[in-house]
Amino acid sequence: MSQSLPAIIYPVAIPLMGAFLLPIGARRMAELAGLFGRIVVLLSFSTSLALAVSIWTAGPAVSAMGGFAAPLGIVFYADRLAMLFLLALNVAVFLFWPRGQGAKGGPCTLMLALLAGGSGLILSGDLFNIFVFYEITAVASYGLAASGRTHAGFAAALRFLILGSVGSSLMLIGIALIYARTGTLNLADLSRIAPHALTGPVGLAAFILLLAGLGVKAELVPLNTWVPEVYGAAPARVSALLAGVVSKLAMVVALRFVVQVFPGDGAHTVLLVAGILGVLAGELAAWRAGSLMETFSYSSIAQLGMVALAFSISGAAGIAAGIALALHHAVVKPAFFMLAARWRGPVGGLAGAVKDSPLAVWLFVILSLSIIGIPPFPGFWAKFLFLKAAFAAPSAGVWIAVFVMLAGTVVEAAYLFRAVLVFFADGERGGSTPRFAFAQLAPALGLGAVLLAAMVFIAPLGASISGMADEASNAAAMAARVLDRGE
Amino acid sequence: MKSAGGYAPARIRGHERNHGKTVASVLFLGGLGLMLFELISAVPFGSAPMQVGQAIAGEAFARTGADNIVTAILLGYRGLDTLGEVTILFTAAAAAGMVLAGAGRGEAQGQEAGFIFRTAAWMLFPFLLVLGAYIIIHGHLTPGGGFQGGAILAAAFFTPLLASPASPFNHRVAILVEGFAGLVFVVIGLAGLAKGAFLTQLLGTGTPGALLSAGSLPVLYVAIGLKVGSELAGLMARVFGEGSARS
Repeated sequence: MSQSLPAIIYPVAIPLMGAFLLPIGARRMAELAGLFGRIVVLLSFSTSLALAVSIWTAGPAVSAMGGFAAPLGIVFYADRLAMLFLLALNVAVFLFWPRGQGAKGGPCTLMLALLAGGSGLILSGDLFNIFVFYEITAVASYGLAASGRTHAGFAAALRFLILGSVGSSLMLIGIALIYARTGTLNLADLSRIAPHALTGPVGLAAFILLLAGLGVKAELVPLNTWVPEVYGAAPARVSALLAGVVSKLAMVVALRFVVQVFPGDGAHTVLLVAGILGVLAGELAAWRAGSLMETFSYSSIAQLGMVALAFSISGAAGIAAGIALALHHAVVKPAFFMLAARWRGPVGGLAGAVKDSPLAVWLFVILSLSIIGIPPFPGFWAKFLFLKAAFAAPSAGVWIAVFVMLAGTVVEAAYLFRAVLVFFADGERGGSTPRFAFAQLAPALGLGAVLLAAMVFIAPLGASISGMADEASNAAAMAARVLDRGE
Repeated sequence: MKSAGGYAPARIRGHERNHGKTVASVLFLGGLGLMLFELISAVPFGSAPMQVGQAIAGEAFARTGADNIVTAILLGYRGLDTLGEVTILFTAAAAAGMVLAGAGRGEAQGQEAGFIFRTAAWMLFPFLLVLGAYIIIHGHLTPGGGFQGGAILAAAFFTPLLASPASPFNHRVAILVEGFAGLVFVVIGLAGLAKGAFLTQLLGTGTPGALLSAGSLPVLYVAIGLKVGSELAGLMARVFGEGSARS
């Protein structure tokens, strides 16, 4: 019933080998480091694509590392949800590969390490192994946050590092608690043991501790104080990558924990509260923010809060809504960041931008309409899925979630339209705002094209996401695939 | 968003805020400590459900042929974790190297140590090298292994640098060793794919207790030892040496 697919290690092994080899060559031929790294990412992407095709046709795959079957050894578990985010990570790393001054050996090595770590994070089915890959991803992102080599960047990266290390330590305590109570680290094994062994305050505390670690990356309130500072000071490509995809990886891991280890009400309530606070704090701060870069940093907190709200609705419908919201945000937000990187400074200084760079302004309008949720853009369908899931499972908490979501959307619309009005301000002759070179606009345009393509293929996309959510919400079937293999 | 004390002089305000921060931090730490204490006391000590632990302890020796059960777990059952940990160190060293590149160093760090330390540092060098190598290659038999031995190897190269920061350190060789050692680990892992899965143990289990036993596990340990050693030595050389040698 489940295929054994040892090749599932390649998305981790290929970028890892690249990261180990890159510094050797970069010392002598610095200009080739970027090219070599891109080739490694392409190789990793095509391997991941081939694996994804095999998983889409033959069902979820399992591989027991070192031949030690679960729960004694470490397993990788790949279903369609994991492959989707694996591919998204590969695409994002390729798209936001460092350019110009940033494309030296150091940042390129860190990008490959980030790719290897993120891939392992999304594929691993073992609690401690997830922690190890989370650390690789985290350490690489601290370094990338400082890769702009500015004073502000160093300061922001240091604070990010301290906050992240505290979060990781708390996560490790959470893992220790779980292991002490259940005697296993395998997620599939835990899904059978945890419902009766991990109950009461200890279980809830373990979940909160795990979330404290993951929440740093997933930008959950109150662990997201680094967000505006790092995204403002780091190179725009790094901000786009961290906000766009890496934060979602942490969110997907949190989802795995909720489904497999903490299926009770307590964990869902914690996610609900974190989501409500995230949406309110993020949208209101975004409304008050002075520059576009700040606005989008805060709005990214709000968007991840919405994903948390969706995941807090138990059942496949909530998961489907969360996946759709996360995927939509992963396309839209990096494009926003690439635009904001050129339009730095106060929003008021961008009056008349439509005359200087019409293409960028119209792209901004389309992205705004989609993220607010105006039909027929994909953002509408993501929010629609959320409302549908909420109406199917009504409770007091869910109603608050719906209200917060709609209120957040209103605030979101207010500040995005305010910016658009400035761009179209009359009486400005133009010439005062920065223009875009094609290379600067290309990644954002590419993402805009993906968004429009998604609008056309919305029906098959929706069906595929709901299938994915069914698969990812069924803990018993996942456990059977990993543990009952008859070996 | 002005605070209520906005009229107070900046110096006094800052002073008050520091006090508040200290009190808040102490309260927070106390609360966190109490919470963790409560949690830990809810987990029975010494009678944890050890199903995975017991099962591994029962079969580890027979399956891996490693006398040191810690090695059997570290490189066998949890080999991927170990590769991940080596990668964390590698990533941290790469990030630190990137941040430190071109950073200026203070006068104090360029100071030569006294005559006794300088002489002893070079005399220690061969002994540390042998000890490090011994601990690495016996990692599957006795306590020790790649991480511990690697740290001693790093100390061998770093002690002379600490004694006289102007002495040469070859970063190119360190980077070369670091990169290829990591590559060897991954390639051995990929070779395991031919026998079923990533990091499957190769070359059989051998005679228990012999130096050449436990199949490919000692090879992994040698790779880890070289990688950890070159990484630590290179990182510390970046912090304390080199720059002052150039200036």
